[in-house]
Amino acid sequence: MGRTLPSITQEFMQEQEAFARFRRALRRADQLALDDLFASARQHLSAAAYAAHALPMETFLLSMLLEQHKEVMHLRCELDELRGEPHG
Amino acid sequence: MADLTGWLLDLYEDERGGVVLWLIGDDGGRYRLRQDFPVTFYAAGESARLNVLWAWLRRQPLKPRLAKDQRRDLFQPDLLTVLGIELQHAARQPQLFHEITQRFPDLDYYDADLAISLRHAARYGTFPLARCYARADEGGLIQELRVLDSPWDLDPSKAPLRALALRPDCDPAHADPRALIASHDGHEYRFSLEDERPLLVNLCALLTRLDPDLLLTYNGDTWLLPRLLDLAQKHNLPLPLNRDPGRGVMHKKEGSYFSYGQIIYRGQQILLYGRCHIDCRNAMMWQDYDLEGALETARITALPIQTAARVSPGTGISSMQITTALRNDILVPWRKQQAEQPKTAADLIRFDQGGLVYQPVTGLHFDVGMIDFISMYPSIMVRSNISPETPFPDRLGSSDYPPGLVPLTLGPLLEKRVALKQRALSLPGWDPRRRMDKARSEAHKWLLVTCFGYLGYKNARFGRIEAHEAVTTWGREALLRAKEVAEELGFNVLHMYVDGLWVKKDGCRQPQDFQPLLEEVVARTSLPVALDGVYRWVAFLPSRVDERLPVPNHYFGVFQDSSVKARGIDLRRRDSAPFVADTQREMLRCLARAETPDALHGQVSAALDILRGHLRDLHAGRVPLESLLVGKKLSKELAGYRVPSPGARAALQLLAAGKPTRPGQRIRLLFTRGDPGVHAWNLPSAPDPATLDFDYYEDLMLRAAATLLQPFGVAEEDLRVHVRDDLGEQLELPVHAWKRQRQRTESSPNLFKKDAVCAPAEGR
Repeated sequence: MGRTLPSITQEFMQEQEAFARFRRALRRADQLALDDLFASARQHLSAAAYAAHALPMETFLLSMLLEQHKEVMHLRCELDELRGEPHG
Repeated sequence: MADLTGWLLDLYEDERGGVVLWLIGDDGGRYRLRQDFPVTFYAAGESARLNVLWAWLRRQPLKPRLAKDQRRDLFQPDLLTVLGIELQHAARQPQLFHEITQRFPDLDYYDADLAISLRHAARYGTFPLARCYARADEGGLIQELRVLDSPWDLDPSKAPLRALALRPDCDPAHADPRALIASHDGHEYRFSLEDERPLLVNLCALLTRLDPDLLLTYNGDTWLLPRLLDLAQKHNLPLPLNRDPGRGVMHKKEGSYFSYGQIIYRGQQILLYGRCHIDCRNAMMWQDYDLEGALETARITALPIQTAARVSPGTGISSMQITTALRNDILVPWRKQQAEQPKTAADLIRFDQGGLVYQPVTGLHFDVGMIDFISMYPSIMVRSNISPETPFPDRLGSSDYPPGLVPLTLGPLLEKRVALKQRALSLPGWDPRRRMDKARSEAHKWLLVTCFGYLGYKNARFGRIEAHEAVTTWGREALLRAKEVAEELGFNVLHMYVDGLWVKKDGCRQPQDFQPLLEEVVARTSLPVALDGVYRWVAFLPSRVDERLPVPNHYFGVFQDSSVKARGIDLRRRDSAPFVADTQREMLRCLARAETPDALHGQVSAALDILRGHLRDLHAGRVPLESLLVGKKLSKELAGYRVPSPGARAALQLLAAGKPTRPGQRIRLLFTRGDPGVHAWNLPSAPDPATLDFDYYEDLMLRAAATLLQPFGVAEEDLRVHVRDDLGEQLELPVHAWKRQRQRTESSPNLFKKDAVCAPAEGR
């Protein structure tokens, strides 16, 4: 309402939509993984809006990486715990 | 000569010239006084054209006084040469102005379409219910007028208003009323609507004897008063709705308009002279304000009471700005000329944003502090001096420039709101001022909220999009600074929403534990903040469509004083059936009774018992039909629906029954089995209870219950199975998941433990 530019959520939807053909050609298991990636990017929509980057997809890709990296660090912690090593 | 002290009730143009003022005297009398009140408006443009206008005006029978003048247009750097046109006869000004714009459409006009009450407020400081001193001659012509109080007084002297309430004995949209019920001061009279002559004679006698100042009606605008006026005409009997005998009743047409993303319907209006008619059905946001709020809006906007009760807060704030402009010799443009300034794409991307809205950490959280900026946007406007004519501020909290029009208008309002809020904290619970203050503070809130919106509204007389964007820019900055402070002090920021943030930290349970954070936020933002409260627990909900996705404004929780706060769930939604909302509310209150996390388990079972009980009532037909009504709003004309929504289907039924509806009107309906699946409540035929779609209502209730129980690990599918399989029996709930999650959250100092960072709600 009353805005000149689409909101960050609308931009996100457009970007996701742009990959519809790519997604369609993926195997079912890969499609689900891709959906997960996009869902993880949505965790940081407000930061992406604040960043106001001219090419928002870059911010979305970075958000996916961020969530991936958090997952890696989380798993590393769990692994350390299982091995009985102290974690920082 | 007469000296009078009293309260100003009404003010309008006199058809004989000047204005009429109605005063409620200290002696109890109601006085109609007149006052000379010339009005001035201005034309600007090419001097040759102004000369032609001058010559034309000299030939007009009204003989306006003409003068060349230099005045200030807010949007122009230099003074503007204008032709001032002063008329003794205020009531004739609109007609003259209309003729001028027809003949001279190329000129710019100022102060040309202003309400007389605003002009008077700017000149004399008057406002509805102001304490006034007036000295008048024998003919009632005012020689001297002084206002003795201010709209900013916290405890204004209360005017002894006499009110008469009129209502039909049922909702005329639903069925034909048979009687009219009149009440005042605890007395009640019932007049049959069928015996028309006695009705009119009695009503006339009552109006004459009681002589009320306020006429409070239900459906008075759209049904009752038009009907009474028709009857009076038919029987050729007097009906003194007006106090001013020389005036007719004023009608304003109905309409639908678009505001804040919603279509809004407003019925026709009936306005009186010397007496105020307020239709409690038609008054904007009547539920929020009630009478106290409407009177407060009138006092601070200086709009007549019956207008103030009906206008949107946007018109209210715009009226306040007009009065400020008139008082400061700033021209009020008739039509705004300024377009948006050109800007670069990078600037557009950076500034075309709203408030900062975060994705919350979904799931259940214990001991969470909720911190709020007090009236954030208005505070930013006042403290950083944001106004259409002031330069873009370079910092939060102060400005090098003299205060602009918007801060000048908002300053006293904001101060009054904060003063009332502070007083509310100190007043004991039984003090009657509490409720009154709350109603008034609510009225202020809406004015303050819309003031921000009006800065960005292209048709607002004092709007400028850059100023609007400056407010949100500094709002985002303030919220981010608050987040940074919180994280520096070791808090975990669970959620942020425009002007508030939810934070938690191990060991912080009491309000004083959050005090250092509050102080540091104030120090870094120079904006006032408050601790809204500490939640015993709060649950942020994920999207219904994809539970991986958090949604910003769906949450519920319980404060330490056991009060409950919920947003975006069924009990808050206006289109929920009362029975569904009540079920959810009762279940939430039940959960709220748990004082410790461990007690929650028992309360979840108890909440389920409530659900089962209500489901049994539903299927046994023990729920009154009114409680199952759902109110759906028509968002467009019926022809615009490709697949008619339940609301549209109900509207079609009503149309077939000869009751057309307009976009923006709320249509109440029941869900029924088979086609068309709905029964419009206002159909002449009564609904058959046997056709009700109980399964659908059960569905709605289960969904509402699942929303509440989902953060406790009870999934909607499980709930369906449990409730269906053993209505009435205790069952073991899968609530281990949230317990496990809680233990992990509380024992995880490591930032990269998953639930400390984003805690996906588990167990579903």
